[in-house]
Amino acid sequence: MAETTETPRHDVIIVGAGPAALSAAIYTTREDIDTLLFERGVPGGLAAITDWVDNYPGFADGIAGLELAGNLQKQAERFGAVIELGEVLKIHDEGKWKRLETTSGDMLAKAVLIATGSDYKKIGAPGEAEYYARGVHYCATCDGAFYRDKRLVVIGGGNSAIQEAMFLTRFATHIDLLVRSTIKASDILQRELQKYVDDGKVTVHLGTVTDEIVGEAGAVTKVVGTQDGKKVEFPTDGVFVFVGLKPNSEFLEGCGIELDHIHLVKTDENLQTNMKGVFVAGDIRSGATMQIASAAGEGATAALKIREYLEGHAHPIQN
Amino acid sequence: MVKNITIFTTTTCAYCPMVKKYLGAKGLQYDEVNLDQNPERQQEALAISGALTVPVTVITKQDDTKEVVVGYNLAKLAPAVA
Repeated sequence: MAETTETPRHDVIIVGAGPAALSAAIYTTREDIDTLLFERGVPGGLAAITDWVDNYPGFADGIAGLELAGNLQKQAERFGAVIELGEVLKIHDEGKWKRLETTSGDMLAKAVLIATGSDYKKIGAPGEAEYYARGVHYCATCDGAFYRDKRLVVIGGGNSAIQEAMFLTRFATHIDLLVRSTIKASDILQRELQKYVDDGKVTVHLGTVTDEIVGEAGAVTKVVGTQDGKKVEFPTDGVFVFVGLKPNSEFLEGCGIELDHIHLVKTDENLQTNMKGVFVAGDIRSGATMQIASAAGEGATAALKIREYLEGHAHPIQN
Repeated sequence: MVKNITIFTTTTCAYCPMVKKYLGAKGLQYDEVNLDQNPERQQEALAISGALTVPVTVITKQDDTKEVVVGYNLAKLAPAVA
């Protein structure tokens, strides 16, 4: 273990740079609390790869996810937030300081905010891994353009699946939407989807379980599923999967921070974990509503709770 | 040493600006091929990368050997442009 005297120290280290993290950073940096964010992917997180966000308050006509993410980042950086591109691998409790093992070496923080969010889940069907990025995709805004004038299958029935299926109609001639049970997306998205169904751009297949993604000569050709106990086949050129979210909490295994049964992080009413000085906000928090607006609100709340913690603990600029 | 760099992107891809930002921060120049604006070059991107995704970064070295980095992958991109 490195000497603590030589280890970089910060008042707050935020793990992640999605909407919860960036909102928290806006609050901490505006109060001159030294704040470093670690992001292993893209600032903005899942919001950045979402085509369109219609329910984030303050944007009457909605806003592109990439633009919203960029604005949050700019706002946090305007007040002095620093985003380091790298990954936090472990968190150790050393009492007053938390030691973070990172891809840039060890770092110390008086308080830590875990805001690592979530990623899209995989379905685990045969063919899914084999054809990853060669016919099976999880990011419509990244890969949709490769399916101009082609047929697609979209798997999922939640908000993301419906939103991204509608986005993909810009490129694809037709989309088969495979929904395991019923559509769980919001009423407004369902009403919007109905327009695409009426136009013949999207066909919804309820009660359809995906069994296999099949290809030939290195390219996806069809999806095989089961509907009402019968085998069904959907010829396609590509598959986009949006079947729910998987929390990014693997790095917390064995750290002593309590997770719930689906690996979300448990907190108290102050958004603090069982490890004193370690807080949580956004999709990764047990009980989170998985909304960008909620994540931003939780980020602000967590920042204020962290300030209280630091004030009760030591002045932010003192060691 | 890097001779030239080409990045295949799309307009809506969130990872593409990250690659451009990284290369910009390193002071490296690059050509960008936006596949929304140049759909006829999609097959070229697929042939180079073997993947139907962006960003695809093609680094041509002084000896004309090429290194291809698929996605926003700093672990591969950083040594490729070093």
